[in-house]
Amino acid sequence: MLPVITTAGLTKHYGTVHALTDLTVEVGAGVTGLVGANGAGKSTLIKILLGLLEPTGGHASVLGHDIEQGGQEIRRLVGYMPEHDCLPPDVSASDFVVHMARMSGLGSSAARERAADVLRHVGLDEERYRPMGGYSTGMKQRAKLAQALAHDPQLVFLDEPTNGLDPAARTDMLRLVERIGSDFGIAVLVTSHLLGELEQVSDHVIVLDGGHLLRSSATGDFLRRTGSLLVEVVGTETERDRLGEALARRGLTCRPRGPMVSIDPPPPELAREGAAHDLIRDVAADLGLGLMRLQPDRGHLEDVFLQEGVTRA
Amino acid sequence: MPEIPTGGPRTGVIHDLGYRRYDGPRDGSATIARTLFTTGLRHAYGLGRSGRSKVMPFLLLAMSVLPATILVGVLVLTPATSLPVSYADYTNQTQLLVSLFAASQAPVLFSRDLRHRSIVLYLARPLGATAFALVRWASMAVALWAFTLVPTVLLFVGALLAGLDTSDQVAGMLKAVVLQAGLAVLVAGITGAISSVSLRRGFAVVGSVMALIVLTGVVTAVQAISASEGAESASVGVGLASPWSLYSGLANAWDAGITTQVPVDGAWVPAYVLVTLLLSAGCLLGLVARFQKVGSR
Repeated sequence: MLPVITTAGLTKHYGTVHALTDLTVEVGAGVTGLVGANGAGKSTLIKILLGLLEPTGGHASVLGHDIEQGGQEIRRLVGYMPEHDCLPPDVSASDFVVHMARMSGLGSSAARERAADVLRHVGLDEERYRPMGGYSTGMKQRAKLAQALAHDPQLVFLDEPTNGLDPAARTDMLRLVERIGSDFGIAVLVTSHLLGELEQVSDHVIVLDGGHLLRSSATGDFLRRTGSLLVEVVGTETERDRLGEALARRGLTCRPRGPMVSIDPPPPELAREGAAHDLIRDVAADLGLGLMRLQPDRGHLEDVFLQEGVTRA
Repeated sequence: MPEIPTGGPRTGVIHDLGYRRYDGPRDGSATIARTLFTTGLRHAYGLGRSGRSKVMPFLLLAMSVLPATILVGVLVLTPATSLPVSYADYTNQTQLLVSLFAASQAPVLFSRDLRHRSIVLYLARPLGATAFALVRWASMAVALWAFTLVPTVLLFVGALLAGLDTSDQVAGMLKAVVLQAGLAVLVAGITGAISSVSLRRGFAVVGSVMALIVLTGVVTAVQAISASEGAESASVGVGLASPWSLYSGLANAWDAGITTQVPVDGAWVPAYVLVTLLLSAGCLLGLVARFQKVGSR
């Protein structure tokens, strides 16, 4: 399958500020997370791909169109939800989404039908007829998302869609982003500075740091098992430490992590499948401790930053 | 699967169709631009916006139509051989209303999208920043032209009903319409440029009022003083400095029924035309540059 976005050596400098440096990535279908701290170059990349900013160097193509010649064609096929507020306060979401659909080339009746559909999908009900100035942040984010989907794009750029949302609204928004990628069949490039969020929804993650590509790979690779085990027993830190010390005497390398004991990949004599698990069970039983949790440890997106930090230093 | 009852009391069932793709036709840029133009034109009169935003434009329009209505009434009831005021001069006499309309409505078309940053959503769509600025300007110019056209047409119909000479009236009316178009182009450019820079509505309105009403007042005063001091070319020359003095100067030169302090003739006529064109073009370029700059942020 053709990649949705490809960039080659994409660079953007504002004077001495290097927003993007020699970025070469590919983005496929489904949900792709674009992660990085504030100022890592996420928004700059999206604006370049939309043709709103000219790159200082390098090439990129979106949906098979080159960004330099095919800007207009790209903007016809792509939806964009900006990070900042962009809604006029005196217009209702319904009217606004209809207008925006027409600005993408839909006819009057098609725009009305699409706007109603899309507003329903993002979860704006009766309030769609009220002026958007009175909306909560969550409703504004939904309206912004609706206008990005109004013309049934093949690809949407969602810039920080969870910004300013409370935990419940955040979960809703993430579920919606996931549905756009899977059920709606629209490729998604979603940015966030919160790594944990993108772990949940994206198929692929691109990590930017200071305008450089840190890593680009499937989300599963980031979350692969590390070979370590996590054990939690009933009780307080005293019980945790009793278990840890007992396990250490049996040849496992243990360290406390929060209320749990983290056990490094077991030595060769215990590497047999399930041997370490058996040992932990027996030790806990001998000590009379109640096992609450015994699970393989997984990597996190944060680890990318930690590892890269180590290799760079 | 539950069966849908037939013939029972339930007549409607809501189905969740899931996400539906759109594979219908999509308009080209020209049609999108036309849609944007029509929306802008409607918004300039508060149509398709809140009820409150219709008050100002229609109040001003009513005030500018009222004298014409009275004139037409007088004209039809009493015998007369000509209109008491020429078509072009009527617009000149009601210039305060035209200026106020431009000053109050230009921020609607030029400040709103920039202030609320919805410009970004437009520019992420097929129309580019240049096309967007030009279409907005066209909406404003046509809205202004229509504002001056309504009383003109009313006067014209009244004049014909009163049995005034048709060829005279047609000539005067057509001259006025052309002059009004030029005025609309210029004033839309000036108020548009001002509104796109000063994003707060209040500042934009005050800026436009300064450029249209205050400046014209100053120019008119200087023109009158120079004329009474006998400095005729100074009086005509100062007229290049404000949109309304350009309008009346050109109307005077074209014999469209406006008397100026000193007649505009000779080399002053091309100068007036040139300044009008340059000023309009300058405002338009400024407007385009402004939207392009905002779009790349």
